[in-house]
Amino acid sequence: MEKNKFSITLRVWKQKDASSKGYFESYKVEGIIPDMSFLEMIDVLNEKLIKQGKEPIFFESDCREGICGCCGFVVDGNPHGPDEHSTVCQLHMRRFKEGDVVTIEPFRAKSFPIIKDLIVDRSALDKIIAAGGYISVNVGSAPDANTIPVDKNTAEKAMDYATCIGCGACVASCPNSAAMLFTGAKIAHLAYLPQGKPERTKRVLNMIKVMDSLGFGNCTNEYECEAVCPKEIKVGAIAKMNREFLFANFLSEEEPQLPPVFHKSTVDVPEDE
Amino acid sequence: MNYLFLFRMIKTSVGRKQLMAVTGLLIASFLFIHLAGNLLLFKGEDWYNGWSELLIANPATIYIEIGLLFLFIIHITMAVWVRTEDLINASYRKYDMSRWHGGRTIGSATMLYTAIIILVYLVFHIIHFRFADKSIGVYQMVVSAFRSPLFVSIYIIGSVALALHLSHGFQSALETLGINHIKYNVYIKIAGYLVAVCMVFFAVISLYFYFGLDLREIADASNIVEMTIE
Repeated sequence: MEKNKFSITLRVWKQKDASSKGYFESYKVEGIIPDMSFLEMIDVLNEKLIKQGKEPIFFESDCREGICGCCGFVVDGNPHGPDEHSTVCQLHMRRFKEGDVVTIEPFRAKSFPIIKDLIVDRSALDKIIAAGGYISVNVGSAPDANTIPVDKNTAEKAMDYATCIGCGACVASCPNSAAMLFTGAKIAHLAYLPQGKPERTKRVLNMIKVMDSLGFGNCTNEYECEAVCPKEIKVGAIAKMNREFLFANFLSEEEPQLPPVFHKSTVDVPEDE
Repeated sequence: MNYLFLFRMIKTSVGRKQLMAVTGLLIASFLFIHLAGNLLLFKGEDWYNGWSELLIANPATIYIEIGLLFLFIIHITMAVWVRTEDLINASYRKYDMSRWHGGRTIGSATMLYTAIIILVYLVFHIIHFRFADKSIGVYQMVVSAFRSPLFVSIYIIGSVALALHLSHGFQSALETLGINHIKYNVYIKIAGYLVAVCMVFFAVISLYFYFGLDLREIADASNIVEMTIE
């Protein structure tokens, strides 16, 4: 066991808060077991740093099984690390070898202000969801299953888009910092299902409006987002959103209004963070 | 009347892109008619001058030209708008290690640069051919221009930039208009590259005249005449 252990050099982005200037700090990490996950390796380093009385590396994580969308930073230029279609918590140290220099940086985008070190504020994505990523159902006891028939292919397609965990890797990888894949996945997921029909027009117009107001960029169809998405969401989501927008914009007779909570002042990214 | 949907088109990111896509596709379809006309250069002076006279004689031509001008204005305005926002956003994402993950192509990464080259080329092209002195006949005007190495290199750069621009632009426009389907994506991609290859023919035409391949047949013909005289 002992002979398998190896050591790497970590170059970590350190930044006190959104307004301070960041810098890279190098750490030598020794005694890495290949079976460790990347986050466990940082945990080990952090424990050592805390014992030495130094400030640990701040990063975000929750489930550590690739389904919550909490973790996420850029490893050597790859959002979520060099493994294809997995989150950074599913990245294991067996991908690295003795003496590697690994650079880790936070997701960088205009709409993702850095909170500390590798932690970024992704609440902009929540605001897009709140603008239309919902359906209307009656309160009370849960309705019977299958009261609204949905055929299997449609259900599968909606499920493919529903797998979006909102990690923000698409925004981080996009040359224009656009949130099109995220917004597209959320719109497509509900647009394919009959339960999503009542708000269909309002949803796409409102979500795109809020997305624009939060400073996300425009899509240039470079498909970088698709390449890094840990949930393998296809750019078909963006096409579906574009289609929904086209129909909603030209064919709907109603004039959608943003809900009162979404007036300009509350949509803007708060300054105090 | 409610015109709000038109403003919404311009006010939203997706709407701006869709305007860009529609105008881009219309301009591309014009380029095919243009190319078809240019191919008549191979048929000789009478054919090409005939095609040119046909266009000048048609009363619709001037309106189509004005329409094309508007298409270009919309396409460029939207592009500048979209691109300015994107460049501002790009200034916020400075990765120490930046790399691309397979989505980008040469065409997609150079859209802005090819666009600038095409615009400069287009202005030159219009000044040089559209508003030129046509007293020697359109065919002679074109052919004599293509004898110059400077002109031919400008035309090669222009059409290669156009090909690169369309290699990404065609499928990007269709995607923006919501045309993306698991069954057809591969064909859309191939069609985009075919459209790009077609644009290279503009350069092929200029090279044909630069190397004097049109004179070869005349030379051959004069040889035959001389031989028959002997």
